[in-house]
Amino acid sequence: MTTKDPRPVADAGEAHPTDDRDGPMSSDDTHPEAPAPTPPPAAWSRWDRKSMLRPGPGPMVVLEDVRKVYPGDVVGLDGVSLTIDAGEFVFLVGPSGSGKSTFIRMLIKELDPTSGRLTVGGRDLTTLRRSRVPYLRRAIGCVFQDYKLLPNRSAYDNIAYAMQVTGSSPRVIRRKVPEILSLVGLADKADRLPSELSGGEQQRVSIARAFVNHPRLLIADEPTGNLDPDTSVGIMQLLYRINRTGTTVIVATHDRDMVDRMQMRVIALEGGHLVRDQRHARYVAVDG
Amino acid sequence: MRLGFFAREAWRSIRANAAISVAATVTVLIAVFILGAFIPSFLYVRSAVDAQQAKVDVDVFISDNATVAQVNDLRDRLEVLADRGEVRQFTYVSKDDALRIMRARLKDPSVLDELPSNPLPAKFNVKPRDPENATVIVTAVEGHPALDPQEGIVYPKSTADRLLTVARFVQWAGFILIGILLVAAILLIGNTIRLSVFARRREVEVMKLVGATNWFIRWPFMIEGVICGLVGAVLSVGLLWALKVGVVDSWIASADTALTRDEATTIGFLWLSLLLIAAGAAVGAIGSGLTLRRFLKV
Repeated sequence: MTTKDPRPVADAGEAHPTDDRDGPMSSDDTHPEAPAPTPPPAAWSRWDRKSMLRPGPGPMVVLEDVRKVYPGDVVGLDGVSLTIDAGEFVFLVGPSGSGKSTFIRMLIKELDPTSGRLTVGGRDLTTLRRSRVPYLRRAIGCVFQDYKLLPNRSAYDNIAYAMQVTGSSPRVIRRKVPEILSLVGLADKADRLPSELSGGEQQRVSIARAFVNHPRLLIADEPTGNLDPDTSVGIMQLLYRINRTGTTVIVATHDRDMVDRMQMRVIALEGGHLVRDQRHARYVAVDG
Repeated sequence: MRLGFFAREAWRSIRANAAISVAATVTVLIAVFILGAFIPSFLYVRSAVDAQQAKVDVDVFISDNATVAQVNDLRDRLEVLADRGEVRQFTYVSKDDALRIMRARLKDPSVLDELPSNPLPAKFNVKPRDPENATVIVTAVEGHPALDPQEGIVYPKSTADRLLTVARFVQWAGFILIGILLVAAILLIGNTIRLSVFARRREVEVMKLVGATNWFIRWPFMIEGVICGLVGAVLSVGLLWALKVGVVDSWIASADTALTRDEATTIGFLWLSLLLIAAGAAVGAIGSGLTLRRFLKV
């Protein structure tokens, strides 16, 4: 897959000189092939049922002048255009009410844009039928600030549920769930209920659940919002490792230290506008 | 495999929400019990009233001086009423038949031997389809030359009228009560299920977020509803059985009233049980399926 500039968490802190272009509107210029959304090739209709999202490189998320106005004229997003390629790791930053959550929730079609076009994995979400939404969501892993685990189920069963939903056979589930549990470092806590796990552990279960079906896109909405800094590092490392397998990862966050350390692409929203889109960037545009 | 999975999911959620499951079951139990006690009572009363109605008959007495032609004309008129469906059946009772019936009724038939001749007139015994038709029969034959001048037409007017009132009352009261009970049962059960679904709306939301289809979420809920409905209905059938064997059967055996003497029947206990159990299961499934709909719109 096309993972660009993998940046180990360890070498964070040091800014990238070439990317320190300032100004609120300075957007990234590294999309020579951008915004043109390629029409889906005839061949991938066979992917429809299984993955919903087109395999291979190319744009994964494309927003074209997307607006979202909530009832009462509250603007969520105000004409945002951007492209996120397959395999990228992107931070979505901005103050509360900047439109981060609106963006995230549109990607899984919890919300529909008021106008504009939104494409995920080659699929136009504005025209996607309601009945297809579950299949879209299976193809996108989701991680939330409040973990959103099923409270009555053990860590194991929470992850298994995401597989049962897709109709995986019990045999496959029995094989893969322990595998993914040890990947997130919880092999010995499979039988614990969410209430018996720490915040960081719950978030690991949630990431394991998001990743167990090998989605091509993983979205995390404030994944470290409730966690202490040390735990947060572990969670980010996990997300980074998932990104290295070729999964596109979009992380909405307030965590300034984390963004500064990771030096990934940063998309900044403010008041529903795209104010910055930079590669290898820091949380704020002005260095220091 | 899928059914097994859904059944396990349903069982898991019943155990996880034990209090609400018990509440739903008890609600079904009460509703079904009330229905189960009322339905046979209603049917019994109705059937008893019907049996009484069948007994309302009109005697048309024939004069000893009537000619054969006159009697035949009277018979034709009754035939017309029978064709129109107002008369269920009518029979001719000759003077000799009348005497024989009288003889059978008396404790000491020997007194009849003293009679120089048979004083009893012949008659048509007419059974109307229902008591309302009694008056139709009366108007149809009134003033006919073949009628016996003394006896004429005899029918229990007041009984017929009273029965008619009772029958109408039982009919309407029964339908209205059953309607109210059904609505109350559905509201109660729906409310309990809403409570249960509401308690789990976060769970439903999470299921939708990981890509569960609506039916994938709905099946376990519906199976859960069916289980609660079935258990509640079976328990209440058990209670009804105890009530029937312990109280009603002995009461009917000892009581000697107009209602119990007659050939009044009601729905058999087996059919009633099956009906109630099916209703309990259906209400559970439909109730949870419908209530869930609102929460599936995520």
